[in-house]
Order: sequence, then structure tokens, then C-alpha cells
Amino acid sequence: MSEVRYRQAGSIAGKGGAPHQFSHSITGLALDRNGLVYASGDSEIKVFDAAGKLEKRWTTMRPVLAVAVSRQGLVYAGEEGQIELFDPATRNARVWRDEKMLGRVTAIGFAGDSVLAGDAAARAIRRLDHTGRCLGTIGTDNNVGGLLIPNGVVSFAVDQEGVIHAANPGKHRVERYSLEGRLLGHFGRFNFHDPAGFTGCCNPTNVAVSDRIYVTEKAGPRLKVYSRGGEFEGVIAADCFDPNCRNISVQAGPLGRVWAADAVKLQIFVFEREAA
Amino acid sequence: MSRNVTRRVAVTALASGAVFLIRKAHGQVVWQVNASRCVNSRLGEVGVEACNLCTSSCVVALSAVRAVNEYSKCGRCNICPAYFNIASAVDEKGLPSEKLCPRDAIARKPIGKQDPEDPANNFYEYVIDEEKCDGCGRCVMKCKEPLGLGSITLQVRYNRCLNCNRCAISTDCPKDALEQVPLPEALKPGEARPTV
Ligand code: SF4
Ligand code: SF4
Ligand code: SF4
Repeated sequence: MSEVRYRQAGSIAGKGGAPHQFSHSITGLALDRNGLVYASGDSEIKVFDAAGKLEKRWTTMRPVLAVAVSRQGLVYAGEEGQIELFDPATRNARVWRDEKMLGRVTAIGFAGDSVLAGDAAARAIRRLDHTGRCLGTIGTDNNVGGLLIPNGVVSFAVDQEGVIHAANPGKHRVERYSLEGRLLGHFGRFNFHDPAGFTGCCNPTNVAVSDRIYVTEKAGPRLKVYSRGGEFEGVIAADCFDPNCRNISVQAGPLGRVWAADAVKLQIFVFEREAA
Repeated sequence: MSRNVTRRVAVTALASGAVFLIRKAHGQVVWQVNASRCVNSRLGEVGVEACNLCTSSCVVALSAVRAVNEYSKCGRCNICPAYFNIASAVDEKGLPSEKLCPRDAIARKPIGKQDPEDPANNFYEYVIDEEKCDGCGRCVMKCKEPLGLGSITLQVRYNRCLNCNRCAISTDCPKDALEQVPLPEALKPGEARPTV
């Protein structure tokens, strides 16, 4: 295994009352095609430039649990019972409300024409069409009727081929699903001592995919990297996170840049892969 | 302080003491562990050893304090850090090879539809045998967030507690976690926190 090294390249936001900070929660991260970083928390979406300077922010109807940006630049905010859609170009906003199928939206992604919403209330991923109509449910075709998420959050990421990578912390795995909900495979196993494994009752809690797979864990909190095939490549960070932190949102960009949001410090740490 | 005020304070203290004794005599006041103060369950304290003063200080054999699992809060995990010693070697089934409880007081039972091929694909119920438990607090410490969900807490069991005037644990407890509550406010069996 060739060693892959990352360094901390900066941090964004933090806890406080200033416009660029969060007061109570930081729940999700997203990137747009221009390299802007979107962070959801409290009842706000905040947008930062690559250097971490606050570009803009706006409020959401309900406390926001997830954020995603489509290829067309539409911003999706996951909340309890609904998804809000914002068009920054026209400043228009609309809502997909469905208290039953969108119980608690803690992750949003895109695959083909579909919008995917992680519903923590149902422990599943909903597949929606471009109007918000539910086309199917992913992750429930198993013995326990859903993803095992004692941490209370569904987290997934979609790769360029449209394969869904979902954290299944209660099974100590990252699972791969097709858009139709077929389980394609998984990697990961419980291990307390070997950092390649996932520790505690339930890890990994969050996942991101780019040229590699990034996961975060709780108790003790850490950010790790795996190859696309699921081979462990290293621990990127651990000490910077608050020990009580769980559900560290993670987002991966091009050129080995990774963002991880500490849910206690309300701070986003930025990491960069070092040249081999 | 004037003599009048001093007398009033003394009379008030005596009166409240007398009221307490009358209520206690009628079994209306009981001792209870405040889970948000107890070292083993209070949030924020991670990486510290479990406190076992409830075991060593109580006048009742094994202690009148026992661990209780509140099932509605339990994650029913495959690998429960309160049941398994998660730092022990992994066995051939992918599970930790040792249990955490020194008295083997916790049973692990698969519930619901079962997948015999894959232990991770099941829900489990963790049942505490109160006859064996001595309230050492180890499982409570491991169950608390962020490692677990905090469904296991220590509780005074009223079928064992002698309702001492001054609970011996309360004298020793470093966090002042033993408190007296009127009986109607006391936790019901299986309840980990007041239901207010
Ligand atoms: S002595 Fe106090 S801190 Fe220690 S286990 Fe009992 S209630 Fe908790
Ligand atoms: S408190 Fe101690 S004896 Fe009781 S179940 Fe937990 S670990 Fe076992
Ligand atoms: S009141 Fe007495 S019997 Fe009850 S828990 Fe305290 S020391 Fe034990």
C-alpha cells in the first residue's frame, strides 16, 4: 500500500454569532462546480469561497439537516418533512413537502435525472423525480428493514457512475447500491485496534466519494480515506475533532481536497492531499 | 444576623426536617440517581474510568443500585459496547471475543426476523439480570453518547433500597447525584429519566 498523506489546509466557520459562524448545529456540506463550499446548519445555508470567506447566506423554513447543489446550480436543503429548493440565479424558492416520505432528510444527492434523499426517519434513501415525486426506496431490502443508524443520520454519496455509497454504521460497512436499490457490494468490518476497521457500536457515520472514498467516525472521531475499491489508505485527521463529536459531515472535491464539519466545534476543517 | 432571624431559620429547618421525616415515614420520599449528574451517564465526560461508588458505598449487599436498560432508547446494535469489551480480540464471527460486564449480568438476544448467516443483519435486545448486577457502572459508561445511545443508566431499585435517612452513596458521591424525590416523581421500573 502506497502511503497517502494529507495536511490540514485551513478551517472555516466556528461557533458564535458572527455571520460566518454557526450557533447550534452544522449538519451538511456541499460543493458547486465553481468550487464554492455550501454549509447547512441552524436554520441557514452559508456559502464560502475556496479561501473560506463568507460569500452569502440565507435562512431556511425549518432547521436544516443537509445541503446539496445540483449540476444546474439549484441548492437543495434537507429538513424535517421537506426539501427546500433555492435558485440563487432567480432567488426563487420552492418546497417539496411530504411528511411521510421525507421524514427527516439528512443527506441529498443526484444520480441521472433522480434526486436522492436520505430519510433518517425511515432509515432509507428515497429516489425522487425532478418534481419531488417518490419513485422508490433504497436500503430497506434487508433483515432489519433499513440502514442501521443509531447515530440518527443517513449519509450517502453518489460516484460518477451513479453508484450510491451509503454508510451503514450498525453493520460497520459502507454499502454500494444501484439506483434501483440493488445491493452491489460493501466494504468494512468491525475492528477496534486496526484503523482499517470501524470501531464502536456504529461506524462509519458519514461518507463522501471522489477519486477516493472518505468516511468519518465517532467515539473517537476521525476522518479516514479508502481507495475506490475499499482498501484502507490512512487516517487523515483525529485530534482536531471534539471527542464528543458525532456525525461529522464530509465532502470531497477534486485534487484531493476534503472538508469535514465538526458538529460540536461547529467548524469546518479543510484537508489537502500532499503530492506523492 | 439578629436573634429573631436566627430563631426563625432554626425553626424553619426543624420544621422542614420534621416534614421530611413524616413524609419519609409514610414512604413518600425516596432516593434516586440523577442520570444527568452521575459520572457514568452524564454527557460530555468521555475517556474517564467508570465510577463504582454505588457498589462500594451502599449498605445493601451488591448495592440497591442496579443498571437498567431503557429499551425505547436502545439502538439494538449488533456490537453493543456495553455488552462486549470492544477492545478485545475479534473472533471468527467478527465480534469482540470478551464481554464487558464482570458479573456476566447482561444477555444478548437476537429479536425479530433473524439472519443466521450474518450477525450484523439482526436487531439485538440487551437484557440486564438485576439479580446479578451490582451497579458497578461499567456498562453505563460505555453506553453513553457518543459511543452508545445512553439507554443504560444506574437506578435505585425500590424493592432493594432500605430508604436510609442519609443514603450512604449520597455521602460519598463526588457529583451529588443521589437526590431525594417525592415517591410519585420517582422513576418507574425501566424508566431512565423523569417523564416530564
Ligand atoms: S457514586 Fe455517583 S457518580 Fe458514582 S456511579 Fe453512583 S451516582 Fe454515579
Ligand atoms: S452495572 Fe456492572 S454489574 Fe451491572 S450490568 Fe453493568 S457492567 Fe454488569
Ligand atoms: S438509601 Fe441506603 S439502601 Fe438505598 S441506595 Fe442509599 S445506601 Fe443503599
